[in-house]
Amino acid sequence: MVEILSNTVALSRMQFALTAIFHMLWPVLTTGMAIYLVIVEGLWLKTRNPDYYHHARFWSKLYVLNFGIGVASGLPMEFQFGTNWAPFSEAVGDFFGSILGFEGAMAFMLEAGFLGIMLFGWGRVHPVIHYLATIMVAFGANLSTFWILVANSWLQSPSGGEMVNGKFVVNDYFQAILNPFMVKSVSHMFFATLETSLFVIGGISAWYILNQRHQAFFERSLKIVLAAAIVVAPLQIYIGHLSAEQVYHYQPTKLAAMEAKWETSPAGQPADWSLLALPDESGEKNQWEITIPNALGYILEFKPNLSESVLGLKEWTPSDRPRMVGLIYYSFRLMSGIGFFLAGLMLWSVLQWILGNLASEKSIDKNGCYAPGFLLLPWATSLLKPVGLYAVWVGNPGHSMDKFARLMPLPISQRVTSSLL
Amino acid sequence: MDALLHFLPQVWFVILGLFLFLYVMLDGFDLGVGILSLTSSDEERRSLLMTSLGNVWDANETWLVVMGGALFGAFPLAYATILSALYIPIFMMIFGLIFRAVAFEFREHSNRKLVWNIAFGAGSFLAALGQGFVLGSVIEGISVDEAGHFIGSTWDWLDWRSLLVALTLIQGYVLIGSTYLILKTEGELQKTHFRTAKLAAVTTLIGAILITIATPVFYETARIRLFSPPLLYIFAVIPLLGLLLVWLLLRSLNREEERTPFIWTILIFLLTFIGLGLVVFPYIIPTQITIYQAAAAPSALVFMIIFVGFLIPIMLFYNIYQYVVFRGKVAGSAYGD
Ligand code: HDD
Ligand code: HEM
Ligand code: HEM
Repeated sequence: MVEILSNTVALSRMQFALTAIFHMLWPVLTTGMAIYLVIVEGLWLKTRNPDYYHHARFWSKLYVLNFGIGVASGLPMEFQFGTNWAPFSEAVGDFFGSILGFEGAMAFMLEAGFLGIMLFGWGRVHPVIHYLATIMVAFGANLSTFWILVANSWLQSPSGGEMVNGKFVVNDYFQAILNPFMVKSVSHMFFATLETSLFVIGGISAWYILNQRHQAFFERSLKIVLAAAIVVAPLQIYIGHLSAEQVYHYQPTKLAAMEAKWETSPAGQPADWSLLALPDESGEKNQWEITIPNALGYILEFKPNLSESVLGLKEWTPSDRPRMVGLIYYSFRLMSGIGFFLAGLMLWSVLQWILGNLASEKSIDKNGCYAPGFLLLPWATSLLKPVGLYAVWVGNPGHSMDKFARLMPLPISQRVTSSLL
Repeated sequence: MDALLHFLPQVWFVILGLFLFLYVMLDGFDLGVGILSLTSSDEERRSLLMTSLGNVWDANETWLVVMGGALFGAFPLAYATILSALYIPIFMMIFGLIFRAVAFEFREHSNRKLVWNIAFGAGSFLAALGQGFVLGSVIEGISVDEAGHFIGSTWDWLDWRSLLVALTLIQGYVLIGSTYLILKTEGELQKTHFRTAKLAAVTTLIGAILITIATPVFYETARIRLFSPPLLYIFAVIPLLGLLLVWLLLRSLNREEERTPFIWTILIFLLTFIGLGLVVFPYIIPTQITIYQAAAAPSALVFMIIFVGFLIPIMLFYNIYQYVVFRGKVAGSAYGD
């Protein structure tokens, strides 16, 4: 313990992990919620139904509370690359730094510059201008998702230049921005923020409905959320799948850890997929596991036999393997589990909607109870979702503290070059 | 090509100077108002102070974020070295800004306002103090090796000269905060801030004089540069202009004018900034690493000029628009239906 406290690298890793995980919680709530605000305000302008106006006002209050913490926790993010990771910053500043610069000038400023009008401008500016301000806030927020994931996906798959004397020199900026991971990582993150925000809005609505407060009001937001979730939830599973595929192609070590896979499965044969397991790093095996026979080929390529071999962790020497395989394994399962749970919840609720069980007038029974409580309960639990996201971030293949622990101390040059090769 | 290698870093030095100036001016009055709120004894006045900033503080603070990102991209070495050398004052600033940001959003909805009042006032003070130490240490110089890597120690930033700069900066923020409040409030509240503005103008002036004297006395490099033409003439003019502006400011305060004190204060800030820029240039890590040594590759600088440069007028446009929408005196609740 004392050793850790005198080890600046370990401390810096802890600081980075802590601030990044904490920061992550808030943007996922605000960026998606901003889109929701655009939707309800648009509906208000179109229908002039005061209900929508009240929705815009109500949720924007929640928005701004999240926003405040998002900004506050974002500040250390912006500066700690310099305060704690000076050699890293010097090595990749030409690209990574420019991208953070764009994020500030393009995204944060846009969001911040119109936020005042969105929150306090009611009655001061024309409704159309106000709507424009809301759109700009949402656009800015999502641009920041874009740029930060450009920066991050570039760290996953650096391209567009080469290392010269320990510094990454960019030859082609557009190639670096359009790095192999960019499109899928940006999309996956975009839908993650949208899905999280939607289900939190839905969860809060369900909670009010269950408590029989303002039921008609919150029924409306629940339905808007549900309508959007029909598209978002399945799409996120699909994009998650595509993300796994790119990990499979570019970062086989990570895939092996995500799947707690020790032995290589050769090409041309089917392979089992592990549903649950207890990885044992020192024994280089899983103490026990439950597998689904022949499923891996279907998951990766929609066919029984693998066309390329899937490498197991034993292909690498122990020092080159990720540590805490269990954490990576389970956080990946938690993430996809949440994805499937939310899609299932969406399907079930839509079914109830079609059956007419969602209308509050109809479903208040004689005792004044809201009938489909059984349905709303899971929505209220989806309020716990951000907590799940925490876990996703802690353990996400690469965002585990452990991964930081492994990667940060390596001279960044070595890392970037080795991934370029 | 050689001309380009010189020209591009200079352009970025100016752009960063612009971002930093906008930040210091705009968030300067936010922080000043925050520090002034510490002296307020009643809840209503504090509400009014915070309401006067509610719609702008975030955009103002974002200039710092933009500056940080641009520094990272344009002068990676300077970003890395300065920030790691000044870890403690930087985090002092960040902690201060965190408390302040959260106070803004949560005070409105809270029943226990005291906690958030303290977070707002003390946070603003801490942020200003941290910024002052950063500024003071950068002017004083940071010890680096030939490659520009920090070789000093953790507490290098703390000495009486950086403390002097920090205290002066705080006074400056109180000054611009007071003149902003003169602009935004009326009646008793406005009267109070005519008084605080006068007081702060005098203390800022004293601080500035001490710094101006101390700089050439204690730094040989600065002395040599300052006392040889052409800088000599410029440095003869700047203090004189400064004194003139302070006189104009005090006169406008005595006449209880509403707008001019704010304008004179901005001009004083601008003048100080130009002076500082000239002392520091062409160094970015005084007194050893120049902007040419610390700059990113020309391709990076060009690329960033294309993306960030064309955004500068747009950013300025919508920020100004926001001030136009919310011009006039503040009143009542922030959300006002
Ligand atoms: C700019 C901030 C930032 C953000 C938003 C993220 N990361 Fe990150 N990531 C870093 C900043 C960073 C970093 C500080 O730059 C790291 C740490 C060590 C390093 O070299 O890069 C890094 C490393 C890093 C690595 C190891 C690099 C490698 O595999 O070679 C992985 C796998 C991830 N990250 C994955 C993610 C994922 C899945 C994110 C999801 C949103 C994510 N990062 C967001
Ligand atoms: C290391 C990575 C990151 C850095 C350096 C960073 C930096 C920052 C900074 C400095 C702020 C405050 C901006 C202001 O003052 O307005 C902020 C807020 C924000 N960040 Fe991050 N951020 C990072 C990761 C992310 C990620 C992954 C996302 C998106 C999923 C994101 C989205 C946002 C958004 C939308 C805001 C605006 C505040 C809000 O809406 O809550 N950031 N970030
Ligand atoms: C079945 C569904 C899902 C699958 C198969 C899946 C798969 C993946 C994979 C493989 C990665 C790693 C990408 C990389 O390291 O580059 C990833 C990242 C991530 N996932 Fe998922 N995911 C799913 C659902 C979700 C859901 C529902 C959320 C949250 C709402 C989510 C949030 C994230 C986040 C925040 C990241 C890191 C961002 C990124 O690198 O793109 N995922 N996902």
